[in-house]
Amino acid sequence: MRKSNWLLLVFGLVLTLFLAACGDDTSSDDGEGTEGGAPEQVLNILESAQIPTMDSSQATDAVAFQFLGETMEGLYRLDENAQPQPAIAAGEPEISEDGTEWTIQLRDDAVWSNGDPVTAHDFVFAWRRAVDPATGSEYGPFMMNGVLKNAEAINNNKADVEELGVEAVSDTELHITLEKPIPYFHSLLTFGTFLPLNEAFVTEKGEEYALNSDNLLYNGPFVLIEWDPTGENPEQWTLVKNEDYWDAEKVQLEKINVSVVKERSTAVNLYNTGEVDRAGLSAEYVEKYAGTEDYKTLAEPTLFYLKLNQANEALANKNVRKAIAMSIGKQDLVDVILANGSIPATGAVPENFTSHPETGEDFREINGDLITEDKEAAKEFWAKGLEELGVDSVELGYLGGDSDVAQEMDAYIKDQLEETLEGLTVEVVSVPFEERISRNEKGEYDIQNSGWGPDYLDPNTWLEMWTSTSPYMTNNYDSEEYDTLISEANNELLTEPVKRYENFLKAEKVLMEDAGIAPLYQRSRAYLWRPSVKGVIFNPMGADFTYKHAYIEE
Amino acid sequence: MDKENVKKDLFVPAQKDEEKSEQINRPSLSFWQDAWIRLRKNGGAIFGMVTLVLLTLLAIFAPMLTSHGLDDQDLGLSRMPPKVQGLENFQWLGLDGKKSETFEADSVEEAKDLALARFSQDDFSYIEFDVKAEGDGSEDSAEVKAYYDPYADKQVEEYFWFGTDTLGRDLFTRVWIGTRISLMIALIAALIDMLVGVAYGGISGYFGGRVDNIMQRIIEVLVGIPNLVVVILMIMILDPGITAIIIALTITGWTGMARIVRGQVLKLKNQEFVLASQTLGSSNTRILTKHLIPNTVGMIIINTMFTIPNAIFFEAFLSFIGLGLQAPDASLGTLINDGFKALQINPHIMIFPAIVMSLIMIGFNILADGLRDALDPKMRE
Amino acid sequence: MAKYILKRIGYMLITLFIIATFSFILMKMLPGSPLTAEEKVTEAQREIILEKYGLNDPIPVQYVRYLGNLAQGDLGVSFQMKNQSVTDILMSRAPVSAELGFWALIVGTSLGMLLGLIAAIRQNSWMDYGSNIISVIGISIPSFIFAGLMQFYIGVELELLPIAFWGTPQQAIMPVIALAIFPMAISARFLRTEMIEVLGSDYIVTAKAKGVSKFAIIFKHGLRNALIPLITVMGPMAVSLMTGTLVIEKIFSIPGIGEQFVNSVTTNDFSIIMGTTLFFAFLFIVIILIIDILYGIIDPRIRLAGGKD
Repeated sequence: MRKSNWLLLVFGLVLTLFLAACGDDTSSDDGEGTEGGAPEQVLNILESAQIPTMDSSQATDAVAFQFLGETMEGLYRLDENAQPQPAIAAGEPEISEDGTEWTIQLRDDAVWSNGDPVTAHDFVFAWRRAVDPATGSEYGPFMMNGVLKNAEAINNNKADVEELGVEAVSDTELHITLEKPIPYFHSLLTFGTFLPLNEAFVTEKGEEYALNSDNLLYNGPFVLIEWDPTGENPEQWTLVKNEDYWDAEKVQLEKINVSVVKERSTAVNLYNTGEVDRAGLSAEYVEKYAGTEDYKTLAEPTLFYLKLNQANEALANKNVRKAIAMSIGKQDLVDVILANGSIPATGAVPENFTSHPETGEDFREINGDLITEDKEAAKEFWAKGLEELGVDSVELGYLGGDSDVAQEMDAYIKDQLEETLEGLTVEVVSVPFEERISRNEKGEYDIQNSGWGPDYLDPNTWLEMWTSTSPYMTNNYDSEEYDTLISEANNELLTEPVKRYENFLKAEKVLMEDAGIAPLYQRSRAYLWRPSVKGVIFNPMGADFTYKHAYIEE
Repeated sequence: MDKENVKKDLFVPAQKDEEKSEQINRPSLSFWQDAWIRLRKNGGAIFGMVTLVLLTLLAIFAPMLTSHGLDDQDLGLSRMPPKVQGLENFQWLGLDGKKSETFEADSVEEAKDLALARFSQDDFSYIEFDVKAEGDGSEDSAEVKAYYDPYADKQVEEYFWFGTDTLGRDLFTRVWIGTRISLMIALIAALIDMLVGVAYGGISGYFGGRVDNIMQRIIEVLVGIPNLVVVILMIMILDPGITAIIIALTITGWTGMARIVRGQVLKLKNQEFVLASQTLGSSNTRILTKHLIPNTVGMIIINTMFTIPNAIFFEAFLSFIGLGLQAPDASLGTLINDGFKALQINPHIMIFPAIVMSLIMIGFNILADGLRDALDPKMRE
Repeated sequence: MAKYILKRIGYMLITLFIIATFSFILMKMLPGSPLTAEEKVTEAQREIILEKYGLNDPIPVQYVRYLGNLAQGDLGVSFQMKNQSVTDILMSRAPVSAELGFWALIVGTSLGMLLGLIAAIRQNSWMDYGSNIISVIGISIPSFIFAGLMQFYIGVELELLPIAFWGTPQQAIMPVIALAIFPMAISARFLRTEMIEVLGSDYIVTAKAKGVSKFAIIFKHGLRNALIPLITVMGPMAVSLMTGTLVIEKIFSIPGIGEQFVNSVTTNDFSIIMGTTLFFAFLFIVIILIIDILYGIIDPRIRLAGGKD
């Protein structure tokens, strides 16, 4: 071995000469020269995937929303407390009495990177484009149907795009008509799908629009350069400060260098050699770095749970479902297997997400721990359930993901269930994400390990999907009481925030009492994070981070 | 010199005996005996064979030595380092049941504090230190190597020879069961390759003409498809598992064997013994199975010996890109993949399956080399 | 010869057609759709989008359209990378993988030849055993383990070489070495066997008897003839390089084709999977063709056999 290593090294040197002779040296200029004075305001970060698209109508994933968020500016932007703050909007919206008519004044000093002013027409164009079936957007209809007036009809080709409930009264005044008085519309406006588009530019570029950084216009804190998925280096790109940005004086970073790294160990290695300022950690690395000053966890409002399909005879039994929900050692799950700061979930709504409109108390705090680990109680429920079913053994299928950590987790849950509940056999099947979704839609599972991230700041994003008529309901949970509570919250009570919130609280209790789902954990992410990087905002929805206010401290 | 005056009467004419003219003086050796004699002389091949036999025995019997099952979990015993009776005092072997790591800081005290944080300890009861550099207060001048004993900390009496994984499963059990499954996949895949390849190549070569032409065109097309792509596509549409991997490995894998057998049969079919058999009225089936195939057995064996390690390799590769076996089943590939993530922190999770796999690969390769030398008729004296 | 090549190209096209059909059928059998926000898109919305991309048409219609586009070199657009042309994506990544593979091949074979030659000349000496051990280890340890170890020890601990990415010569060293190990081992083993055989043949004995210098015997008479059969192992080597790029590119974050392929497999990006499959198949067939032609030129006996066939 020693010998072979030595030979390899010699050969490596020979190779270097070879390559140096013919290869063009494109050495990067990042992270150099911090001799004295203020530190260079350059941030080096990694992403786990390429930017799939920079077209805000087409964006669906975290990476796309991340860089849309940095380079584009919508009406509002989330602040560090996840509250929408005016951005292109000049101030708070004026809302009509019935809550369906919104009028927003725009600031007049915002410009696109080609010098055009950002006007109300840009919003009208972008929103129409998002719901137009010809665009083929996935998130457009998802975010706008049932929210903007006529969106659903337009998307189903039953109305003209011009009939969408948004119009430009003047260049600086936007008038929005909603289908119903959606209370969370304000936070929705911070979402990437609602970003403006420069009509002249987008039409001129046609199919070419947003294919690379040359075919894009920006109005946000940063401008994207050297991004080209079909270019020489599709996996590296750079953001530079946008000097024309209306709020440019608040932006301190000069440059953000981004590279795609898929292998966790590579990311950690890059962090350790100082080439990047942030690296995501998997559970294995947490063990090593947990005590260091570089270690940081960020709690997300993303919830994971087991869907218990009531089409299965055994799972139709409430006691069986409760037994399953209560037998999993969630604390060990988050401490040992995930080890990234995740916390056990005890309800259907995560903590630190929404608070009571009057008292300001957190949703989770009010409702408390609804389903916790209790192996003794689980055994009792199990015995009762088996008795009601008239059987002494049950076999259940378990559908899980195929990532390393998912497989580890599923193996653990299977073990927990089988150990606690005598007579239960769990058959785990690990499939790729797409396959899991496809089986989910067809209802082809007994138990499924599944998760959900919020799309707007309202408990409804968590609870509406468990109504019997929801298109996402595949586990056949059907509770009249639950349906009524949610339906009231989304209709009669829309303009009465307190009563509405109480409906949600009640609904969650009903859902948990029925053990409609078995909550597992609320996710958190573990990072190695250079302590000198300050001011990065972590968002509960949309783009993960906001770098607008970030800076490098000495 | 006496050499020159040798007396003639020392030479006596040999007796001519009609009966003994056909006598064979040296013992009669069959092809296989002869091959075995030559193989025996090849130290490497014997080493390979012994290694493989040992590993196979371990794969069959070692899991019975422990009280653990493949999927017996205990999160309290997560990621225990390996510990072997009698080897506790040989620190450099890394089988002493301790986790060690080097810490650098401005002073020894600070380095020790880093160690506490790293091993999530409140005091030094379970950590021993080996101070490498005292340090002078300048940055990272002090260097301390810390040895943390999780066995003492968690009061574990048991010895985990290969340590445990994240879910606290005994790796010794898992590695040998994984070896069993990897060997099984490889053997079945090689067997199927062999059966299909020999039949296809034999028929194609023996009948020749139009049959051969059509069959060769089919092979030519199949060979053009990179098996990597086929394997990945097959795994994607089949339900993942052992069967899927075997099917994926064999779907184009047999073509190599078919080509070799065809070549051999083409060469042999015009030889006298085949003609003789044909003249005596043997059926085609008989000639193929009794005369032609047995004469190509050497080549078949050599080729199979190279197929087996390839299959093991491919399985590991599939696991690495996330298309491997379903948990809780384990193969060497999935175990290595699990360990790869933790290579820098808990190297024991990867090292043991990696060593076993490398030994299997080395064993098969040098045994195959030896067999080739032993079975190759050109080497016969 | 020209007729032979024409015939081979004919087979090549048939093979490609079969692979195209085969992968098309497989893609249609795959579960799920290529949408990216599958979880959140409802059934009705999905229909609208599939309609737009013509994925709701009858399968034969899709098949004919696919073949038609293929004939014009159009592999469709990616679903994951919205509206990006698959041909463009592959074309931008192919040079990177080609460069990586080329250097791995050069480094691997030249180092392997050196090892094999030394082993053959000094047969049964410690050098022979050493070279054998290196080559057996080379084919016995998966390249990703080498890559992981190198990255950690050379990149992080010793800080000698950059850990990841592509662009500078320094960044290429570790991935090239990791990828070169297999070709090195294969060619070392192969050359040793061939060389020993050649050195034992009659014409070498004659040359020795005539008093030709040792150097000339080895390089002029021996190596030259032993090298010819080495071309036959180029095929398996090319395959190992393709397989290798999948993992090596992922570990070193190199924006090549292999990395893209693994990525598309995990995200169900049908059009890229099909495009890459065809690309790999095409490359593979061309390599085999070149090897066969080369071999035919160098060794007339093979050409005769091939021509008759």
